[in-house]
Amino acid sequence: MSKKNAFKTTGLMKELMANYYAKGVEAKKNGIPVAWVTAVFPVELLYAAGLFPYYPENFGAMAGARKVANQLSEVAETKGYFNDLCAYARCGIGDAYADEHPVGKIIKPDLLLCCNTQCGSLPKWFEAAGRFYNAPYFLLDSPQIVEQPDQLCKQYFVDQLKEMVSFIEEITGKPYDYDRLSEVLALSNEACRLWNEILDSAALKPAPFGFFDACFHMAPIVTWRGTPEAVTYYRALKDEVDERLNKGVYAIPDERYKIYFDHIPVWPKLRWFSDLFANHGALVVASQYTHSWAYSFDLNRPLESLAENYTEQFVNRSFNYRIQLKINFMEKYGVDGFVLFSNRSCKPNAFGLYDKHKVISQKTGLPGVVFDADMSDLRFFSENQVKTRLETFFEQLS
Amino acid sequence: MITSQLISYFNETINDHDRFVEQWKRTSGGKVIGFLLTDVPEELIHAAGFFPYGICGSNVGQERVDAHLQNWACSLVRSSFALALQGRLDFLDGLIIPQTCDTTRMVSGIWKHARPLPLMENYLLPRQVDRPSARTYLVGELTRLKGRLENYRGTVITNDEISKSISLYNSNRKLLRRIFSLHEQNPECISNRNLYALIRAALIMPREILNDHLRQLVDALQQDCQSSSAAAQTRLIISGSVIEPLEILDYIDQAGGVVVGDDLQNGWRYIEADVRESGDPLEALADYQINRIPFAAYDTVSNPRRHFLVHLASQKQAQGVIFLHLKYCETENYDYYDNMQAFNKISIPTLRIETEFGGSSMGQLSTRVQAFMEMVGGEV
Ligand code: SF4
Repeated sequence: MSKKNAFKTTGLMKELMANYYAKGVEAKKNGIPVAWVTAVFPVELLYAAGLFPYYPENFGAMAGARKVANQLSEVAETKGYFNDLCAYARCGIGDAYADEHPVGKIIKPDLLLCCNTQCGSLPKWFEAAGRFYNAPYFLLDSPQIVEQPDQLCKQYFVDQLKEMVSFIEEITGKPYDYDRLSEVLALSNEACRLWNEILDSAALKPAPFGFFDACFHMAPIVTWRGTPEAVTYYRALKDEVDERLNKGVYAIPDERYKIYFDHIPVWPKLRWFSDLFANHGALVVASQYTHSWAYSFDLNRPLESLAENYTEQFVNRSFNYRIQLKINFMEKYGVDGFVLFSNRSCKPNAFGLYDKHKVISQKTGLPGVVFDADMSDLRFFSENQVKTRLETFFEQLS
Repeated sequence: MITSQLISYFNETINDHDRFVEQWKRTSGGKVIGFLLTDVPEELIHAAGFFPYGICGSNVGQERVDAHLQNWACSLVRSSFALALQGRLDFLDGLIIPQTCDTTRMVSGIWKHARPLPLMENYLLPRQVDRPSARTYLVGELTRLKGRLENYRGTVITNDEISKSISLYNSNRKLLRRIFSLHEQNPECISNRNLYALIRAALIMPREILNDHLRQLVDALQQDCQSSSAAAQTRLIISGSVIEPLEILDYIDQAGGVVVGDDLQNGWRYIEADVRESGDPLEALADYQINRIPFAAYDTVSNPRRHFLVHLASQKQAQGVIFLHLKYCETENYDYYDNMQAFNKISIPTLRIETEFGGSSMGQLSTRVQAFMEMVGGEV
């Protein structure tokens, strides 16, 4: 992801994302309801209903990447929200109370729709935001799949999707359009297919595309999934990846090792990490995070299929499943080692990593390392400590 | 027995609870199923013939947890897990973890990996309770859990068994509520500290033994507590997840405060309502859960927590509110600002205290409680 090696498509993405925020602002002006949603959320239902879905987590990631998470968080902290909370939530809450908006003003919700597959922080953040903005809040509740997916939880989710459809109908004053939903689901399928083909190119040796590129190019699959824009974008990116392959342009100059990385990156240090890995000839090739957007919907059973896709995500799975998933990725991408990020912000993904590290090492024989930091807040980032840990890990690779 | 003897019996039992349970196990030959926090349907575990044992955290041994769980996990879960790692929960035959937050959700797999037990289950309670889907799902989840308990015991659990357990638990809650109201009327007769010690005892004692002693205590208290001393006391509400450390109640006692309500998992919230004794018992358990006092793990749309708290405070004529929060308890932290604001609006002073199992400084705690009590008491 070094500067000179940047993808041409990056320009297109910047345009697309600027457009996304502009559309949100415009929606507000034109009286189109803005619905806050969470990253792992059946957003297809909203696009089909003509609502504008807004991702405050994306706002949080942006604040992290622009190194202002601390600044926004401190505003939340003066109110009594502590810095132990998820940094995305702190940034969102901080921005609500702040006078200065270093990443632009978070768009005010007309309604808040939250799915808790990912974590328990989102519902609590959305509840607080619902009180602040005085907007109705709806929780799509997804109990953890502890063993295998079962009918009970699936039916519960489907029932709630129906409840949500009624809730949306009340807001829009129109009967729900299931034909439109089919179209949106097909667009989502296509964008996810393209996105995963791009991600898969990281398995080639040497590879034209890696995890840090994926972090950079993932915003549209999160926010624009279900629209033609996402499809156009990932088609362009896919073409560029193919073109690079033909020309022999690779993600890093001298790829010697492939690495698995868990999970969200340290946003304000994205370049620092990618350079550090590249300097050691190590390409991070996969992460369950960037690979989460791999939905495949059955248009004939839209609600059931939405329920399966969204509840069976790794974020809603337990200890053993997650270990196996990581190992599967490691095998598929033929990695030489793995790095697990114990992210202080994200307890559901950090808790368990110490044991998982041991189990994965035992099962695969691969070297691995766990480091502690925060995905957005540099107050919890010790460059020396992280560097020392990773250097030791790189030594084990060779 | 007289009041003081009964109270010491309960205090000794909670101080020495490992020994108490081990002895119970030896004499009865029964099985003990542990649980975390208090939303787990104990009635169902009891109906299966097992003794539901509430794990309440501890003050020592947390460093053992570091290899498994980050030190920014809450100390209730860390110190409860520490007990298991130290071998101090070896009397357990099983464990049920209710998934109420990310920490409980994730520790379940870690616990099972590090200290497996013959029966390990999650209680996947719904985290929205306002829509019809929640009840249907919860009845299904209770049925699933019942199935797991049946597998473990080897026979079916009958509705009759569940109904009997529900009555037993109801009678226990009634006794504790009776003592709670005696405490409200006459805190000198049963102090804050002793009242909450009784509720803690309820988590770690078989109901049959517990109820027997509680009945004696109610009789003794009714004799001892003829007059009312409540008028001279400052009325307080405590809001938080669990009461920790118990010493805070001593400080409130010393400063002339009486706790008249709470939304704590091991306080009033644990005993406040009964389970319906008619109709389908699993449906009754589901309705009970759905209508419980809101807590941080889920705020309800129809009865938001801050409204509940404000209502409780005005109903109980509380003069002050203490937010007793465990460090790193995220769900409490998300609610704090708005709850605090809700009390500001009605001019009830609040104090937030952050504590940690095994990490609270008692001197500081005592000073802060005392200062707050002087401030609140001064306003009467
Ligand atoms: S980073 Fe983790 S805790 Fe924060 S919103 Fe995302 S999944 Fe939830």
